[in-house]
Amino acid sequence: MNYLNYVIAAYAVFVIVLGWDFVSTKLQIRRELRGARLRAAREAARPGRDAELTR
Amino acid sequence: MNPIIRWFHKLGSPPYFDRFAARWAPWGYGLGLLVMAWGLYGALFQVPADYQQGDSFRILYIHVPSAWMSMAVFGLMAFYAAIALVWRIKLCEILAMACAPIGAAFTLITLLTGSIWGKPMWGTWWDWDPRLTTELILLFLYLGVIGLYNAIDDRRSAARAAGLLAIVGVALLPVIRWSVVWWNSLHQGQTISIFGESKMDPSMFAPLIWMVIGTKLWFVGALLSRARADNLRRESGKAWVAELAGGRRA
Repeated sequence: MNYLNYVIAAYAVFVIVLGWDFVSTKLQIRRELRGARLRAAREAARPGRDAELTR
Repeated sequence: MNPIIRWFHKLGSPPYFDRFAARWAPWGYGLGLLVMAWGLYGALFQVPADYQQGDSFRILYIHVPSAWMSMAVFGLMAFYAAIALVWRIKLCEILAMACAPIGAAFTLITLLTGSIWGKPMWGTWWDWDPRLTTELILLFLYLGVIGLYNAIDDRRSAARAAGLLAIVGVALLPVIRWSVVWWNSLHQGQTISIFGESKMDPSMFAPLIWMVIGTKLWFVGALLSRARADNLRRESGKAWVAELAGGRRA
């Protein structure tokens, strides 16, 4: 195959860019769910408004 | 109510959309990957080398479908943005903004693969040719939409501002499409025609069709995933997201 280096470079660009698009989206979804889980844990640990104040 | 209209109404509900996107995005990715793998096999191993360009013409099988996607995704983004602006449908804002990074990715692939093909064929990596320049402006427009959307804290105002930019930017699409006709261009003229006669030999055609279908299926997966991520971000304080986050992981 002639121009092999150019063909490999072009196909590598295609795979890398689409791969980045796939991985970055997966990580974003994971980050959002992790954030929601941590927020829920913080809110569960916080005492309620009507909780009695104690010394 | 008509069941299709009822389904559209249901799809507007964030928890329902999350379930829908989580279910169908892997199918888009999976089928897209499968079809593209078949197309790439044909492009690399089945079609003969071009009598003038040699094997460098095989770059066309990723360059052309990406170029078509770069323009189609921008058009779709503007379409969703227009619906979101007129009817204030939140899901359309989300879908419009989810289009931007995917379209930018396809535009980047178009520019880079075109440049890699141009070096052995034209003797240069880049030329300020009308087709190349307008495609570069398209990338800047995508980056502008992404930047504007992330620069404003309020998600809905951000989507409206970025959507407006997308709608205005649609004017560039016919310029890209006909740039090779309107101006003297180093970039070759139209080779492939859907309705008319193509200048490409039929023996080289099938892998291109597979790649065009494959990139579209991949886009469906990517769009649903990105829209799902943005939907979760907007709804992060809601009980259903907390429940989902506690119950299962992405």
